Amino acid sequence: MIMAQPIISTKNLFAGYNETAILDDISIDIYENEITVILGVSGCGKTTLLKNLIGLMKPTKGMIEILGRDMIFIEEDEYNRLMRNVGVLFQGGALLNSIPISNNVAIPLEQHTNLPFHLIDQIVRLKLSLVGLEHAYDFLPSQLSGGMRKRAALARAIALDPAILFADEPSAGLDPVTASALDNLLLSLREQLGMTLVIVTHEVSSIRRVADKIIYMDKGKVLFNGGLEEALASDIPPLQKFFSV
Amino acid sequence: MSNQTVHLPDKLDIDTIKEIYDRLQSMLRKPAQVSKISIDFSNVNHIDSAGVVILEKVQTDAQKKGIDVAFENISPPIEKTIKTFSGKIVQQPAKKIKPHLLEYIGEYTYKNWVIFKDFMFLLANISYYSFIAFFRPKLRRKGEVIRQSNFIGVTALPIIILVNFLIGLVLTLQVGIQMRPFGAEIFVAQLITFAMIGELGPLLTAIMVAGRSGSSIAAEIGAMNVSEEIDALRSMGIDPVPYLIIPKLFAILISMPLLVAVATFVGIFGGAVIGFTNFQIDFYAFYNEVVFALRYYEIMTAFVKSIVFATIIIVVASYFGLHVEGGAEGVGRSTTRSVVVAIFLVILADSLLGLLFYL
Repeated sequence: MIMAQPIISTKNLFAGYNETAILDDISIDIYENEITVILGVSGCGKTTLLKNLIGLMKPTKGMIEILGRDMIFIEEDEYNRLMRNVGVLFQGGALLNSIPISNNVAIPLEQHTNLPFHLIDQIVRLKLSLVGLEHAYDFLPSQLSGGMRKRAALARAIALDPAILFADEPSAGLDPVTASALDNLLLSLREQLGMTLVIVTHEVSSIRRVADKIIYMDKGKVLFNGGLEEALASDIPPLQKFFSV
Repeated sequence: MSNQTVHLPDKLDIDTIKEIYDRLQSMLRKPAQVSKISIDFSNVNHIDSAGVVILEKVQTDAQKKGIDVAFENISPPIEKTIKTFSGKIVQQPAKKIKPHLLEYIGEYTYKNWVIFKDFMFLLANISYYSFIAFFRPKLRRKGEVIRQSNFIGVTALPIIILVNFLIGLVLTLQVGIQMRPFGAEIFVAQLITFAMIGELGPLLTAIMVAGRSGSSIAAEIGAMNVSEEIDALRSMGIDPVPYLIIPKLFAILISMPLLVAVATFVGIFGGAVIGFTNFQIDFYAFYNEVVFALRYYEIMTAFVKSIVFATIIIVVASYFGLHVEGGAEGVGRSTTRSVVVAIFLVILADSLLGLLFYL
């Protein structure tokens, strides 16, 4: 039997800020076309793990592989090429405030493709309509609400239809209708484009809708790593408490 | 007129669409020769949203030119993906009509009138609270006046000393050279005293403080504004003017006259150094000339100027900080504008005070 290769893999990962250790021996494997949700109480290291996975932070020890590439010793050029296949939705959106939403979404398309302007423009319009922001084409980020900025940032993250999408709290600050529509969009991205999604979220309703796998973190360690059904039936107290709230 | 068939590759994604798109567009450029384009999907096993975008674009362009486009041999999964992403592009609304010249002038005038009104309102607010807060220290942030005095005054000393010393030195040198043929070098002492105390000391100090502390205050308040810290203060029932601005005003009102005094002294000392080294005027003679030239009137002029300049710097910095629009870029823009406007207003006030005191 041939075992599938993980698309994202970490082995014995340790990381932290200055002297403070945040991640403590994290070993996880994430496979293609899966939606993995990273859970945990505030300050447990979810965002730090995400930053390590996307190469924005170097671990103190351990190994990280994304799409078969070692993320710790990767050269800058190779890293930039690799990131063409990776989309990241940051917690605060991280849009460039000085340019309109349309230009924000166009950045990866302009940088990583040689498509003519009118095609890039069409792709930008499609992405904006997918997140329900077709009317915000000319708006500056400062003219949008927090939830809208989050959706605009998602449009930018999926501009190149990346193989992997990392999303830090995608539905935080959204109303339930928009959050549900966003979940459906994430599901269709996985189904139609074969995207692999790694989502950090606290929204239990959203987790129930989209998650295939759950990674539950506590004080920098992985306390649970398994399927959604298994997580819902788990007798690990913090996890039980999380889903019962 | 002929039917053309295009066989798509196995992958129609962002990396492969350019070639296909160019091929299809070249067919569309010859409407007289092509009546129908058949797009064959039999090889396609992956399509992404960019692939769907070009298919839609080609379809729309073909329709305009009266060419039929047919999609053939589409597998169900590919069809599903096309359905997910098609028909979603909303075309740009009509461009805004350019305003008439008079509308433009009107809008510009109104905008500046609003700025002026807001500025005067802030000035009134600061004046009111500067009086009230003096008797109600609870309105101010604790320890802030000392912290700000240290930042605006003490940490600015090295640069103020250096700049004024060099200006005093160069000014005395240039004037002394002009006076030498008349044997009147000794009068450079009186000239540099008048120049430093009445004009250059207050003006150069104000320009340095506007560039250094004014910009920092505008950026600090601006950053607080964009990160909703000002709103948070208001929501807690705390007025940002007495809480944030008044301590800075008190600090600059304490620091500026002292900085001007230091600047003037150092400028005159720079003159004495060049007088001694280049024009053989000994320090005692130079000192006597300085004392002879010094009048209370000039000292009062310098004091009044320093107070007026300090108020201008703080009000302008606070105004631009409180009126930041946009994010990080807005803070940068507001900071620059605060420095430019503060320096302009300081020079304007200097001219008006000069006319008032010496005419």
